[in-house]
Amino acid sequence: MEKVIEVKNISKTYVKRKTKESITAVNDISFDVYRGEVLGLLGPNGAGKTSTIKMICGLLAQDQGSIHINGMDVRKDRLKALRHISAVLEGNRNLYWRLTVRENMEYFAGNRGRSRREMTNQIEKLIIQFGLKGKENELVNGLSRGMQQKLAIAVALLANTEVILLDEPTLGLDVEISYELREILKTIVKEDRRTIIISSHDMPVVQELCDRVTIINQGTVIVDEKVNNLLELFETRAYSIKLGNPLTENQESQLLSTFPLCTYKRGPLQALVEVNLERSDDIYDLIEIFKAERTIVESIDRASIDFEQVFMKVVKGERNYAMA
Amino acid sequence: MRWLNLLKANVRMEYIEMKRYLPNTLALLLTFYIIFLAAFFGIMFVGDPASFDANVQYSIVSVVFWSLTMMTMNFIGFSVVTEAMRGTLEQLYMSPMGVWKIMLTRMIGQFVLQSVLMTLLLFAAMGTSGQWLNLNPMTTIPIILVTMVSMIGVSYMIAGLAIIVKQIQAFLQIFQFILMGLVFIPLSVAPMLVFAPFVKGVNMVREVMINNLTLTQMPWSDFGVLILNSSVYLVIGLFVFHLCEKIAMKKGLLGQY
Repeated sequence: MEKVIEVKNISKTYVKRKTKESITAVNDISFDVYRGEVLGLLGPNGAGKTSTIKMICGLLAQDQGSIHINGMDVRKDRLKALRHISAVLEGNRNLYWRLTVRENMEYFAGNRGRSRREMTNQIEKLIIQFGLKGKENELVNGLSRGMQQKLAIAVALLANTEVILLDEPTLGLDVEISYELREILKTIVKEDRRTIIISSHDMPVVQELCDRVTIINQGTVIVDEKVNNLLELFETRAYSIKLGNPLTENQESQLLSTFPLCTYKRGPLQALVEVNLERSDDIYDLIEIFKAERTIVESIDRASIDFEQVFMKVVKGERNYAMA
Repeated sequence: MRWLNLLKANVRMEYIEMKRYLPNTLALLLTFYIIFLAAFFGIMFVGDPASFDANVQYSIVSVVFWSLTMMTMNFIGFSVVTEAMRGTLEQLYMSPMGVWKIMLTRMIGQFVLQSVLMTLLLFAAMGTSGQWLNLNPMTTIPIILVTMVSMIGVSYMIAGLAIIVKQIQAFLQIFQFILMGLVFIPLSVAPMLVFAPFVKGVNMVREVMINNLTLTQMPWSDFGVLILNSSVYLVIGLFVFHLCEKIAMKKGLLGQY
């Protein structure tokens, strides 16, 4: 597959104005984004996601490294690179609230050198696609937050760029609007085949839309993997074991010392063990613990796992994912 | 063509905003008219009756130009601060046309719209005072256009500073009075002001309007000085603006307010 974005060894350090203290926001990050791919850029708050996105957009200059979009260096050829990229950085704050929906779309298109006449059909199409029909002549400050967010994304699409960056596209939206927006984004991903980078804390959005995720923590990339692979990887290791009788105290302490991250739930007659078996020998160790007191094993099931759990496990450091 | 579309979009935007904030625009126009009235009645009651006509004519031209320079030059500083507050400044920086071009088209839009308003003010002032100036558009418009170039240069400096230092409003308020000084003080009293932006141009327009001079009656050296002055300010303005942009991108100040 052809690389559209190449991020190589970028770093960014801020210096606090008052204390002159240096804070490294991004530390030697590298990743690529391929044509038609949807990449999730994830990480906890303060991980360096926004700084990375802003560097890709050319809004923030990196201290080291390089970023290329379609072969163009963002630092040296910023304006040429921007022809290939559009972004929704602050959601509804990216709009002019005293202009109408249509005026906003026309203005931003004009700012990219496009004429109103040239854009009429596309504006109409996006108004319908984003459910803004009937609202096109209303001022943005009179719209709901969900509508404003939809408009911000429609404006970014209007730029007709190959790459679109969406920073927290569903932040602050209620479940219904968030779902609606997710469906629109799914259609865009499917039909337009654009290259999209999504930064979000909304894991269902990431799981549904993204092909691959790059997880950043404390300024460095800790995971760069396909979503399906990660789900599969954690799913195959997560087991839920139902026991016919509770473990003895000795067994319980042995279980917790061998598998410190497992959970053990004791019932009056039964018990449940949820455990991640990371090494292939782990299953034998576990069976040995049960066998010692002839504990009845009623069932062994694979635990279902969603992307939110995967993300938490990765960020918390359960990251021997490379072993599989 | 892309330039033209950019210009159209920004002039339209300025027009729409002006329309949406019409009470503000009218209040501002009224303020300038009141300032003119204060100057007019001051001259009438306190000034020398022998030079009454000349003084009134001088104050008409000065008030109108002060209003025009203030509205056009301060506008861009306020505009950058407002964009940063709204969160749209970064979106402007995502345009492949470049923000300096967006700012330029906005300044042109603002200048055109303000010129219309200032023409209304000019006629209101002339009607009130009964002093009808020689407008001579064939002479005044070229001078005003060249003068505008230096105003754009200074506007770029203000815009650049506003990108870095968002709390620039206090400076802009003081700047109004600096502009007042530059417009009202005649070059004959302070010849060094020829090096200041737009002073030469305002002086030339005053000559045309008050002394009925035409384009050919004005010394060519005056045009030379005016063009040189405007070019220098434009170059310095663009340089400062790009420098401030670089600093803002390095320090991550574009999205901050």
